[in-house]
Amino acid sequence: MSDERKSVSISGAGKLGGGEYGRVTISGSGKVDGDLVAEELRISGSGKVSGRTEAGQITVSGSARFDGDVVAEEIRVSGSTRVDGGVETKELTCSGSFRAGGHVSAEYLKATGSLGVGGDAEADIFRASGGFDIDGLLSADKIEIHIGGRCRAREIGGERIEVRRAGGSLLAGLVRILGVGAGVSRLETTLIEADQIVLEDTTADVVRGKEVEIGPGCRIGTVEYSEALKVHEDAEVKERKKR
Amino acid sequence: MEEERLISKKEVLEEMGISYGQLYRWKRKGLIPEGWFVRRSTFTGQETFFPREKILERVARIKDMKDEHALDDLAQLIAAHVNGKLEVKLAKLKRVGWFDADLLRSCCGASTSQEAVSVWQAFVLGVLSRLRQSARDEEIDLVRRTLEQERGKGLLDRMSENGARLYLLRKSVAGGAISAQVSVVALAEESAVFDPEIEIVESVDLPSVLQRIQLELASDGRVGRDAERMGAEKDRPTGEKGEEVKR
Repeated sequence: MSDERKSVSISGAGKLGGGEYGRVTISGSGKVDGDLVAEELRISGSGKVSGRTEAGQITVSGSARFDGDVVAEEIRVSGSTRVDGGVETKELTCSGSFRAGGHVSAEYLKATGSLGVGGDAEADIFRASGGFDIDGLLSADKIEIHIGGRCRAREIGGERIEVRRAGGSLLAGLVRILGVGAGVSRLETTLIEADQIVLEDTTADVVRGKEVEIGPGCRIGTVEYSEALKVHEDAEVKERKKR
Repeated sequence: MEEERLISKKEVLEEMGISYGQLYRWKRKGLIPEGWFVRRSTFTGQETFFPREKILERVARIKDMKDEHALDDLAQLIAAHVNGKLEVKLAKLKRVGWFDADLLRSCCGASTSQEAVSVWQAFVLGVLSRLRQSARDEEIDLVRRTLEQERGKGLLDRMSENGARLYLLRKSVAGGAISAQVSVVALAEESAVFDPEIEIVESVDLPSVLQRIQLELASDGRVGRDAERMGAEKDRPTGEKGEEVKR
């Protein structure tokens, strides 16, 4: 209808009423009062939307706060972002800190910083190399986790799950030898279910899968597998069951 | 409530020959309602169970729609219903016998000249068309008002998780020379019990009416064609699914 949507830029301190816009740029400190619909939202200073946000692309390099749900084609966060509601997007990339109060659903979710989710986190592909804290279920076709901090999810499920310990870097090795932060940089969950599972440095009560590989540093209560199981000598598995 | 037989997730995978990946994917797409996941702790730790009949039927149905596109369309249909973007073509209502010009006008405030109605209107029509035979006019209206009243409380979203049945009841009251019959409409569980003097005129399983709309009748502009094809295929073999009264 309105192919001529207005673009707005706040570069000092300003307030903007909710509504439909083309591009909204906040480079100082800005607040949007109400629901926002925009083709593009860029926040490089400090921004806040007090309602629901619907946008094509959202880029945050400063600090942003969304009081309602966020629906966007693409979200890129390199600063710090907090969403009180849920998030629905095709692609979510965060290298800073991203926190959502509700569910987070994306086709592709990549977190290299710190990710916090109050509900479930869902994606086709989930890649994390930082730390995360997911109160609900982490579910994706492919889940790749390079442990880079404390990683926690209530449950994890999908097709293929691969968890690797923090890279082979000198620092990471040193940290492990000195035992600094031991027990912190781990993945902790109650349940992991997938067809293919490869784990390192993981604590879980139950692991169920077709082909399961339990690598070094794991502490698992029960492993149930239907085709193959490999357990590393530096892993602890209390009980194994073949179905 | 716990009369329903449960089946463990492992057993579903084995029995239907599907993978964890598929099951989790379908869950993400909203093809398997959240409420069907029943968590129980067993001697092997936390396990997930499902209502046996429902999950096996749903999985079989999803497996039928082999290509992923149909699956996405179905997921979109279910999601779009939540957003209220869906519509149901009158022609389709006619085909399943839910169409009634009088009901359409009086209950939905819709005219027969329009092409489609909303999911909610289709739902009301679906329920009312089941009662048309046995219910009186004022009872039809009572049912409609009951549904409307619950609509604002999220009836459609709630019931696919919790299950719900609509009962049309009558009770005769006699005192001296005067006798009267009282009509009551109730929304309750399948296992609801009524006193022996109550006559159950009709009862309708509400989730199955909605499911029928979602899976077979509704269409969204973008996915119209596929949904239509799906609907056409499913119409015949399934028959009046909403009609079964499980007792």
